[in-house]
Amino acid sequence: MTANSRGRRIGVLDGAALVAVAAALLLAFATPPEATQGNVARLFYIHVPAILVAYLCFGLTLLGGASYLATGKLRFDHLAVAAAEVGVLFTGLTVLVGMIWAKPTWGVYWTWSARLILTAVMFFGYLGYLALRRAIDDPVVRARRAAVFGIVSIGIIPIVHFSVLWWRDVHQPPTLLRPDEMQIDGPLLAAFLVGLVAYAVVAAALVARRYRLAALEAELDAGLAAADVPVAGDAVAAPSLDGAQ
Amino acid sequence: MVSLRDVSVRIGATTILRRLDLTIAPGEVIGLFGGNGAGKTTLLRLLATELVPAAGTATVLGVDLATGNRIDLRRHIGLVGHTPALYLELTLAENLAFAARVTGADPRLGDDVLAAVGLAEVADRRASQCSYGMQRRAEFARELMLRPSLLLLDEPHSALDAASVDLVGHVVDSVTAGGGVAVLVSHDRERIEKLASRTVELVGGRLT
Amino acid sequence: MTTVPGLRHQSAAVAARDLRRERRRGEVAWVTIPFGAIAVLLIPLAIGIDAPTLRRIGPGLYWVVVLLFGVLVAVRRTATDQGDAAVGARLGIDPAAAFLGAAAATTVMILVFEMAVGFVAVMLYDLDLSRWPWMLVVVPGVAVGLGLLGTLAGAVSAGAASPNLVPFLVAPLALPLLIGATQALDAGLTEGGGILRWVLMVLLVDVVALVLGVVTARPLQETG
Repeated sequence: MTANSRGRRIGVLDGAALVAVAAALLLAFATPPEATQGNVARLFYIHVPAILVAYLCFGLTLLGGASYLATGKLRFDHLAVAAAEVGVLFTGLTVLVGMIWAKPTWGVYWTWSARLILTAVMFFGYLGYLALRRAIDDPVVRARRAAVFGIVSIGIIPIVHFSVLWWRDVHQPPTLLRPDEMQIDGPLLAAFLVGLVAYAVVAAALVARRYRLAALEAELDAGLAAADVPVAGDAVAAPSLDGAQ
Repeated sequence: MVSLRDVSVRIGATTILRRLDLTIAPGEVIGLFGGNGAGKTTLLRLLATELVPAAGTATVLGVDLATGNRIDLRRHIGLVGHTPALYLELTLAENLAFAARVTGADPRLGDDVLAAVGLAEVADRRASQCSYGMQRRAEFARELMLRPSLLLLDEPHSALDAASVDLVGHVVDSVTAGGGVAVLVSHDRERIEKLASRTVELVGGRLT
Repeated sequence: MTTVPGLRHQSAAVAARDLRRERRRGEVAWVTIPFGAIAVLLIPLAIGIDAPTLRRIGPGLYWVVVLLFGVLVAVRRTATDQGDAAVGARLGIDPAAAFLGAAAATTVMILVFEMAVGFVAVMLYDLDLSRWPWMLVVVPGVAVGLGLLGTLAGAVSAGAASPNLVPFLVAPLALPLLIGATQALDAGLTEGGGILRWVLMVLLVDVVALVLGVVTARPLQETG
């Protein structure tokens, strides 16, 4: 694939993301208000898809890391870091939108619900993944260690998801991914699903751009190294002590 | 035993060694010289399997460094570098005993080799309580005990007193007598040339 | 040609080495345990010294102290590990053995920490020990989990600039241990429910951390 065709594909994805988000927002405002919460419940059409997309991104981080360990190909590491960064972004968005929803509903921005706490922990867990990557210079060592940490970190996600079933507290149980029947009317479900698809497309567009950036950075490093540049030792000269005190 | 062909080594985006060739036959002792920053320690680290070549083919003791099992290869390589590789809270004897225990060497040799390097009286002293020179001697004792097939010494004569300088030759001989090879990095040309079967110089990332 | 010792032998040698070094250094005994005890002492000053409240939430406070300070034990290890890892690697120690030995030693230190600080917590918070049989499983289970996760996090971040990276990495991963331990001893976060599933959660973390640590030990040691 040439750089131009790659750029075109990403451009198409960007366009699709814009269209999808516009459609999702339109539908979110067009659906009837929720029976008990009214218009503030429209934030769910962002909040819930955002966290599901974050789960998907972290799953890609796991997949990318595992693939890197299996094959040694750095492009899988590029995928892992791109997905992790977008996942952290969407997790942050989930918490933020949730807090905006919580203030008029619960009267507080934050409450000590297990789901909230664990989502925040997941956010910090993957921030740790990104901090780990920043702390290691060598790209191969970084890829390897980040892959291991990405694999270990995935264990947080099922705990976050099932927390609302294990702890019955103020946070409502899952609406979509639940062990029994979904409890949501058709039009609202449609808005959820369109929102989910839209934010998944947005995530894909962001991951694609970030992946491309990581690949270009790796190309630049390889190019600098391969070029006929002086070796490190050439910069060291003999001391010049003539006339020194 | 060692074959480097067109080898380049990078650390991060910095090229340290470029298109380097080196072959070492069994029993050889190579003296390696070069200016500050020339890449001598980097070359030693490559031979010690701590680094992999960015280009070219590097084979150490029959193992390709890019594709082979470097971790298991390390059992056959001894490296005495700038920083003493000892556990500071353990005594000199305990350091050697640990090395014997994890490598399968005869632990009874520990006392003998410490005596050979003149540290018998301080074998029960913690490494942290020993001077840098004493720690280096203890490392030589460890290499005498382990008898690696490839011995790498970085500035081996530094911190050794006049009575101990022959120790370096003794350690080198113990390795080459068994068909092993040694690479000695140093700025002390006079002493190294007495020990080496061949000397090479690192200039511009390549060997001359 | 000498016979290379097996995994068990090398692991035991590494564990013995680390425990001997800690015995001489005394950092866990003379620094970390007293620091943890101070934390147990100070928390009531911040949240209120109502005895019935402390009795009810004390187990949870204890486990948080164990989680955060247990990580310090692993950090203590990794602070010395940069040079140590080089020594071990040069000797050709099997990376899995290095991991298992290091984790075993860290586990013992954390277990000592748990018992020492636990004694202080029981005395200060007047904790209910009626579920003590479960503690015989949970306390060592958490020590094993923290030991394994701390050693794994240390291996993942070895050579990194900041020593604070290890606790930052371990804390979220150790969350299932905290949840399992507090639930098993009924810190009051939920109503009723079986204890066994929480104990199994702790043990599951231990098993997963063990397998991951052993499987990834070799790739993590590779420097190139």
